[in-house]
Amino acid sequence: MFAGPLQRLVDELSKLPGIGPKSAQRVAFYILKISGAEARSLTEAIVEVKDRVRLCERCFNVADTELCEFCRDSRRDSTVICVVQEPPDIIAIERTREYRGLYHVLQGAISPIEGVGPDDLRIKELLARIHRPAEGNEPVIEVIVATNPNTEGDATAMYLDRLLSPLGLRVTRLASGLPVGGDLEYADEVTLGRALGGRRRMSP
Amino acid sequence: MRVENVELEDFRNYRSAHVELAEGVNLIVGRNAQGKTNLLEAVHCLSGLGSPRAADSALVRDGSERALLHALVLRGDRRLAVDMEIRPGRGTRALINKTPLSGSRALSALTTSVFFGPDELSLVKGSPDGRRRFLDELVVKLRPARDGLRREWERVLKQRNSLLRTAPRSKSTALPTLDVWDESLCRVGAALAAARLEVLAALLPYALKRYEAIAGGGRIELAYVSSWIDQDFTEEALGDPDTVAAPALAGMLKRGIDEIRQRELERGMSLIGPQRDDVSVSLQAGVDNPTMLDARTYASQGDQRTSALALKLAEHDLLTERLDDRPLLLLDDVFSELDPGRRQWLGDAIRSMGQALVSSAEPGATEAARAECVIEVAGGKAVVGSARNG
Repeated sequence: MFAGPLQRLVDELSKLPGIGPKSAQRVAFYILKISGAEARSLTEAIVEVKDRVRLCERCFNVADTELCEFCRDSRRDSTVICVVQEPPDIIAIERTREYRGLYHVLQGAISPIEGVGPDDLRIKELLARIHRPAEGNEPVIEVIVATNPNTEGDATAMYLDRLLSPLGLRVTRLASGLPVGGDLEYADEVTLGRALGGRRRMSP
Repeated sequence: MRVENVELEDFRNYRSAHVELAEGVNLIVGRNAQGKTNLLEAVHCLSGLGSPRAADSALVRDGSERALLHALVLRGDRRLAVDMEIRPGRGTRALINKTPLSGSRALSALTTSVFFGPDELSLVKGSPDGRRRFLDELVVKLRPARDGLRREWERVLKQRNSLLRTAPRSKSTALPTLDVWDESLCRVGAALAAARLEVLAALLPYALKRYEAIAGGGRIELAYVSSWIDQDFTEEALGDPDTVAAPALAGMLKRGIDEIRQRELERGMSLIGPQRDDVSVSLQAGVDNPTMLDARTYASQGDQRTSALALKLAEHDLLTERLDDRPLLLLDDVFSELDPGRRQWLGDAIRSMGQALVSSAEPGATEAARAECVIEVAGGKAVVGSARNG
């Protein structure tokens, strides 16, 4: 146990994800050493992110205005919506520079263990976007489900498929398989097995 | 596959030991509590399968933070130097020829062993879970791509059970997602059951042969017991597990859970599926009596042990055929439980099964095993006693 304020900082820090009691102690002692200006800059950054950053009203990506940069961008293809679990997933897809459509962030995946059902996700809002495209947007033709390739992500994808396919939309799921540029020899058996199961004919 | 030598450092009661192994049968002798089983356990760990009996923390010598294992393995024309560091709580690191592997399980693709010890009696005598685990582990040894299947199944089951438990009691609209979990349950459950049925069907002919030989006649029967698989399904199951068996099984599981939906909601848990299945082991009542009796309830302790041994030897046979290589055979303290006739038979049988490590506290075992190499273990030290005495 440390003097009051220091212990409070350790306690606060250890609430953060990925930070245990020992890391929290290390960070707290580091903060104790930095200058007052640096400390203020850190606290301001934390307060500012809470004040200024919010969720996009349309797609629930992080944004600093009502709409995020993708929903604001009229050059993007509004007939395709890519559904992801969390905002960082968008950054991953954007890095490919292959996708020109819009996004929708569910803010999680269906997981009864954690008490997360469809109502806790932004699924109603997704349906609203499909039924009533925003002004200037084309009707949606395709929904790409890019939830994580695990038990919960797969269940969420299946749920969305059951919900959206009857509306006459094209519902697609990201393929799973081998990392490109790597050696087949080093692929793990589970991934390679899935890739083998989902193999494709080369010439149509 | 052949292990030339093994080195142990801070493993169980070994501070440091180097053991040279011969090509055929290696007999490990010594009084009780000297480290015979620990030596077998170390070799089992080195084949990427972890300990057959304990958690990692138990493997490290008292007062040490990690245990080190090394082995030189010959596989075909390849010489593999295997290094393994067991760090409780921080996982196990494995290297082959100084190249790190992604996980210690990856080792089992290169080196495989079959372990039989006193606890393996539970294969016949114990709860269904042990028999399910036996099949599931064999599935992964034969088809490594199935490695996530059991974990995925457990995850889906846990999620579905959680939903069944909470949804009817809360106002949440989560219940409609039950259909989605049903679909996952049927898909993954059917894949798991199909893989088990395939392995069991492949194992059966070897088990029959081994049991008949060791028991001097008589028959063993293995059957997959399940409340949701149609009685007449067995022949179809021998078709391709992925394209024929699994889709058919998924349909059966779906019909099954549809029928008991209400009961599952009341009880708040999944009531049918691979988590409740079992393998029944039956033995012929006598050499002249063709009646088949359940081994778990009717067989003597000796017959139970013999049938468990037959299953393990059959596993060795099946792996030898499918992997085109003989797995290492690890027999812990088996001779003491067998009568002289069966002891003799086992001694003869293992001589044609490639490299084997056999432990025994009994002097009589030495004759039965006719070992190439006798290793004497005392107080965490292993000494190669006498070479080839047969």
